[in-house]
Amino acid sequence: MTSLTDRYLAATLRTVPAPRRAEIADELRASIADMIEGRTAAGQDTAAAEREVLTELGHPDRLAAGYADRPLQLIGPTYYLVWASLLRRLLTVIPALVAVAVGVLKATLEEQPDEAIGAGIGAGVQAAVQITFWVTVAFAVLERTRTPLDLPAWSVDQLPEAPAERDVTLSDTCASIAFLLIILAYLPWQHYRSWVTDADGANLPILDPALWTSWLPALAAVLVASIVVEIVKYRTGRWTWPLVGVNAVLDLAFALPLGYLLLTDRLLNPALVDRFEWLREDGNTEMLTNVSVVVVAAVTIWSIAESLVKARRHRR
Amino acid sequence: MVSDDLLRTHLQELRRGTVVVASLIALRRPDYGYALLQRLTAHGFPVDANTLYPLLRRLEEQGLLASAWNTEESRPRKFYRTSDDGETVLGRLLDDLAAVQTSVTGLIEGVER
Repeated sequence: MTSLTDRYLAATLRTVPAPRRAEIADELRASIADMIEGRTAAGQDTAAAEREVLTELGHPDRLAAGYADRPLQLIGPTYYLVWASLLRRLLTVIPALVAVAVGVLKATLEEQPDEAIGAGIGAGVQAAVQITFWVTVAFAVLERTRTPLDLPAWSVDQLPEAPAERDVTLSDTCASIAFLLIILAYLPWQHYRSWVTDADGANLPILDPALWTSWLPALAAVLVASIVVEIVKYRTGRWTWPLVGVNAVLDLAFALPLGYLLLTDRLLNPALVDRFEWLREDGNTEMLTNVSVVVVAAVTIWSIAESLVKARRHRR
Repeated sequence: MVSDDLLRTHLQELRRGTVVVASLIALRRPDYGYALLQRLTAHGFPVDANTLYPLLRRLEEQGLLASAWNTEESRPRKFYRTSDDGETVLGRLLDDLAAVQTSVTGLIEGVER
């Protein structure tokens, strides 16, 4: 059986660069023998002394890293900030672009719209994982080769504009605009592709097609105006009283017609109601209408109240 | 009350560079790893074996230490000694150490005044 020292040396030298291995082996073996001797001279048993000495020398990989002058971290302080900011920049844009592109291709070219969202999300996640992996690998290699990056030094000119004054963040604005765009896109989308078909297999719009000549264009206009308000709000950086007013008018201009149409049973396509027995049953339509009206009212009140609170908070 | 861990961290930081200085001074008289370790410990520079052995190796690669194998005794050992370059660097390090001591003294006296 090989001795503990032999096993320790083998474990340490395994990761030391080959050209120096033999010499480090000889020296380390002599040092370990010296250390053991120092302990046995004090009256300790050889086996126990060997164990203690090797324990003191610690993990073989750590010792080998010391000999090879190898970092014990994946990405050290020299590269960490660059790695983090590069990753942040790539991850905020590319996965989303990939997801949208794949989703659109799936829905249009492959004509499988029902799988578009799943495929898009899957592709986006994969893109994020791949980006993270390869960027990290690249920086881990840089860390080990100690390649200087020669990036321009940080200067005070790079300081961002004081962000404290900003109540409205870019992410909030983007989320709101995306939400409005989705609703806006849904209006024509449901007309052509609702995935509900009539007895002949033709597409059945969800909303009453008659509304296209009356209310729907008006609602679409309100949505467009709301997008403009979001942009103005972002540029202003906070809620002002005029913005609160315009926002409230637009919220009501959307909610009141919607509530009116719901309560007078004019929103849903009559052909759609005919097609589904459940909708024709007594009380079901009423319940659906009431729930919808409550949701619309709650969302509208929430939106107006939030703008009021934020505008007041800023004034104080 | 300052925790022992915190204190140990600060002391380690303070001591970090002094192992190099102490080794360069001690190795004006050639010695091998374990004997150097004991000499340093005896002179108030306690240092871990797994820190010192790789450090000697690195200082040798940087040209601050020269080495030679001694095969006269029963066990062949690698003896290190401070090279001319090592002596130059040591001079600078000692100057700086003295400057730190002077500055600290000045600062202490300045505060007391």
